[in-house]
Amino acid sequence: MVDPVIPLHANLVPGRYGADGDTAVQIGTRRISSLWQIAGWSDFEHAAQPLLVACGLAGPGQYDETQQGPDVTAWRIAPDKILLEGPPDLTDFASDSLVVLDLSHARTVITLNGAEARTLLSQVVSVDVSAATLPVGSFIQTGLHGVGVLLQARSQNGIEIFVPTTWAQTILDILCQNAMPLGYEIMSPQTIHAAT
Amino acid sequence: MIRIDCPICGLRTETEFTYGADATVTRPAMDETATQPWVDYVFNRDNPRGWHLEYWHHVQGCRQWLVLERNTLTHEVGSCRLAREVDHEAS
Ligand SMILES: [Zn+2]
Repeated sequence: MVDPVIPLHANLVPGRYGADGDTAVQIGTRRISSLWQIAGWSDFEHAAQPLLVACGLAGPGQYDETQQGPDVTAWRIAPDKILLEGPPDLTDFASDSLVVLDLSHARTVITLNGAEARTLLSQVVSVDVSAATLPVGSFIQTGLHGVGVLLQARSQNGIEIFVPTTWAQTILDILCQNAMPLGYEIMSPQTIHAAT
Repeated sequence: MIRIDCPICGLRTETEFTYGADATVTRPAMDETATQPWVDYVFNRDNPRGWHLEYWHHVQGCRQWLVLERNTLTHEVGSCRLAREVDHEAS
């Protein structure tokens, strides 16, 4: 399989931008190792069980909680839909009751880190992204600039935004514009790679 | 701005959703041969004042179709259920 490209690399020019003072937020990206969506019908949980076991996951998971297996991260994005990052090719698990779809090239991750990461995010989404309602280890699907995105809290000051790759540049631009009054830093891809 | 309590995602603003259709409409039996029931099904809708059942799509969330109780007069929102779980015979 072709390695997923990170479409933002050419546009992420490392440096310090916006207001002076302490850097409030660091904006970057990271590589998605692999991303698969599995979907089904009313017998979804039963149909998905063998695949979930193979991925080292305890079950289908909760609608607001990121599930972490040994090598796979999973998000229950709908009653009969789960998104999985990290598994190998899942094609062999496809059946009349289970659809598997490779989305590795279809999503891009934008990372926000720093003391004002949640402040920045709160300016562009309608949901509460404070640590009280989006605690570490939780996720939420919402709209950002009218685009459906998945937000996950990796740490107190670290948020990842999964955006459709075709919208990645637009969402990045919006985040950078909103970060100007806060002061932000674009991380170099090498630094990002080392940090993840 | 109305807010909708999605059974999957919780309370969200209207901007995450799109309106779908009147959720009270039922399709005639497939062996129905009269024209009028089909015309009513495809084209004719009531314009109720007060509580109404509507299909909404949580397009920027869980992407589920929902059946929402909404008051067309006051914009009050009532129950919100997954469309797949609503018994169409009863609605
Ligand atoms: Zn929802």
